[in-house]
Amino acid sequence: MKQHALEISNLRKMYKGELGEKDVLGLDDLTLTIPRGEVFAFIGPNGAGKTTTIKLLMRLMFPTSGSVMILGESNASRRAMRKIGFLPEQPRMYEYLTGREFLDFTGRLFSLGKEERLKRSDLLLKRVGLGERGNALIRSYSRGMMQRLGLAQALMNEPEIVILDEPMASLDPVGRKDFRDTILQLKAQGKTIFFSSHILSDAEMIADRVGILKEGRLQRVADLEALTDLGTSAVEVTFRLDQEKQGRIGDSWQKVAVQGGQVMIRLPDRKQLSRLLSDVQSWEGEIISVVPVRQSLEDIFMAELGR
Amino acid sequence: MRILAVMENTFKETIRNRILLNILVFAIGLILLSLVIGDWSLGEQSKVIKDFGLSAMSIFGLLIAVFIGIRLMVQELEGRTIYIIASKPVHRWEIVTGKYLGLALTLAVNVLLMTAALLAAGWLMEGTIDTALLPAVLLIYIEILLIVAFSLFFSSFSSPVLSAIFTLTVFISGHLSGYLHDFVKLYEDRGFHWLLKLIYYVVPNLEKLNIKLAVVEHLKTGPHAVVLGAVYGLSYVLLLLIFTSLIFEKKDLK
Repeated sequence: MKQHALEISNLRKMYKGELGEKDVLGLDDLTLTIPRGEVFAFIGPNGAGKTTTIKLLMRLMFPTSGSVMILGESNASRRAMRKIGFLPEQPRMYEYLTGREFLDFTGRLFSLGKEERLKRSDLLLKRVGLGERGNALIRSYSRGMMQRLGLAQALMNEPEIVILDEPMASLDPVGRKDFRDTILQLKAQGKTIFFSSHILSDAEMIADRVGILKEGRLQRVADLEALTDLGTSAVEVTFRLDQEKQGRIGDSWQKVAVQGGQVMIRLPDRKQLSRLLSDVQSWEGEIISVVPVRQSLEDIFMAELGR
Repeated sequence: MRILAVMENTFKETIRNRILLNILVFAIGLILLSLVIGDWSLGEQSKVIKDFGLSAMSIFGLLIAVFIGIRLMVQELEGRTIYIIASKPVHRWEIVTGKYLGLALTLAVNVLLMTAALLAAGWLMEGTIDTALLPAVLLIYIEILLIVAFSLFFSSFSSPVLSAIFTLTVFISGHLSGYLHDFVKLYEDRGFHWLLKLIYYVVPNLEKLNIKLAVVEHLKTGPHAVVLGAVYGLSYVLLLLIFTSLIFEKKDLK
């Protein structure tokens, strides 16, 4: 039987209410399987339960019920935890240490030998773009640099699975691109990546599958390509047509945009395409583009959230 | 090795913490001030210096213990650095033990420096180094270790302010243990008798670790009192570390 990277079964978390208050649902009956080598994005609005799920995976919190298996072993085992690299949301590190000292410290927690720690620290500092700042105190790091160092410490044990909580939230556009590239490199090395995000465009660019979470419940898990292709039966046709001739279009076609001599028409069904193309020819127009309409992850996300 | 890593890191944190350094400098300054105070007390200079010095060491040791014990745990939890270490293949008890040992090492350095200041003050006054003070210093260190274990224990489940209040309560009631014993007997028929009894049995008798007066007055203490005091104090430390680890093991790091 093929071993999965992560197997989450009926995971549930209730937070105890403060005195006199009701218990609060953090996560409800989450069942999810992530195969090896997949990049999985966990998306949802703030408070949806993304961080709760990740903390339960990492045993920073304990579930009310349910279980988590990591490469076939319970996440309660230290052997399983050795195979995971983890970056928490807005990571905080010991500010009195230098970046290099911090990586060395995390290496010791993985029981790595001194030489190995030195070698990996050097390599990772360069890889995340902190090669020059490795000997500076973390106190002097910007948020983006902290995030980069956070990624480096997550990779210190050369993990098989990398779990990242909102990894791109505090990065500038260059940092986000670097981060996406790193994730894609890790994927190319066969690593499994599970990350949460509320930045949909990032998820759309790098994930194989997405899970949409709302109010502690998993709404949908889908292959990103299949998901965004759902809308491809619609097409948008743009053509050039002199303004004095635009009256010929009449009401037979729904115009989406008219800008000077350019007209865009959206066809809900591509079967109408040949009729439109012959109409444009008869109006003496000139076709510029015919583009299939893809639903963006954002469209799907908003639809799932009922907005 | 993992415990050692956490211990070293904790030690670095406390050493690189300037507030701690300030307290230490102040404490050593106060011990040296005893030279001046000693000058005012005709014929009793040496006693005053030792008594004042040992008391200053005890009080400042306590302050440092409460301050760093609570601060360190709170910083780790509220500063969210705990997410990174607790998600590594490390047992939570290893984190608690490593942190505690790191604090113990810092406190040892503090006590050593304060002792050096005290012995130096004595030497300036008498021209000799009074090693008879050392058993008292050892028991002061054990008391500090016990207090820091309490502060770590309380801060594993309560707020920093409450932890400080609880720890100071333990310190005060621990030194009033003899009176508590008398109260237990005196109020045997009262409703709150059980509470007095509970405090008497749960809170350590810190007077067992106090031989300051005996060494200053050159009274006989004997090695038994020191060894028994040390075993008594360290047993409490061990129990507290076990309880702290058990609480921490099940704690949701929200």
